Amino acid sequence: MTCTPFSLNAADMQSHKYSFELKSDLSELETLCQHLNKFGQVTGLSEACITDINICLDELFTNTISYGFEDDLEHIIRFTINLDNKVLTLIIEDEGIPFNPLEKKDPEIPADLIDVRIGGLGIHIVRKLMDDIRYERKHGKNKLTLKKFI
Amino acid sequence: MEITHRVENEILMIAIKGRLDAATAPIADETIKKTLEENTSRLLFDLSALEYLSSGGLRVILGAAKEIRRREGKVALAGLTQYVYEIFDVSGFTAMIPIKETVEEGLKDLAS
Repeated sequence: MTCTPFSLNAADMQSHKYSFELKSDLSELETLCQHLNKFGQVTGLSEACITDINICLDELFTNTISYGFEDDLEHIIRFTINLDNKVLTLIIEDEGIPFNPLEKKDPEIPADLIDVRIGGLGIHIVRKLMDDIRYERKHGKNKLTLKKFI
Repeated sequence: MEITHRVENEILMIAIKGRLDAATAPIADETIKKTLEENTSRLLFDLSALEYLSSGGLRVILGAAKEIRRREGKVALAGLTQYVYEIFDVSGFTAMIPIKETVEEGLKDLAS
């Protein structure tokens, strides 16, 4: 699926930065979707591209709140989206325990449904939809940086 | 997210509407498992009104599909939007589960 902005010409291709925070609760997935729709309106990125971004951030956010915190307290996960010329950069930061989702092996997809082990699919989808993913642990924070060339 | 089901010619049709993600997956899983208790061996998912699917939701659909295969039955998906198809495709499942454009085609496939 391509990510070509449908209404941008060269002059419009300026940089856009958008930041927001979500609480560590699955109900925030709807808020994530609303933020990305707003980002889509501002940048003119296609609906297909916004959906790809949504799925990737959803998978990583869901991973973080499932494995990244050892207590039941409310935590904040910070998102920054940058569109600069033809490079889309997505950054996710949290203050949870060190957790690198890239250490998870990609699931082997067997030939038959009956042999499918249902797990690890989220990060597999992110790897397929994005061009680059990096993990850093700095100043007590997990930082994931995703890039997509559009 | 909303789930409805009906049976036509011994084929169970489950329609999922709205967003199927990690937040809505537990309730979807419970609802679908209940409908599968009815000894069904032919299952068609109508995904034409499914607006959003993430891996949490994909697991629910795959879980039900696996259960039907375990019963040596048949399962198919119908009406996938481009985005939903992409999720099945990048996960490698389009080769494992028959995907039909319309519910009618899905019913025909499962009846044979």
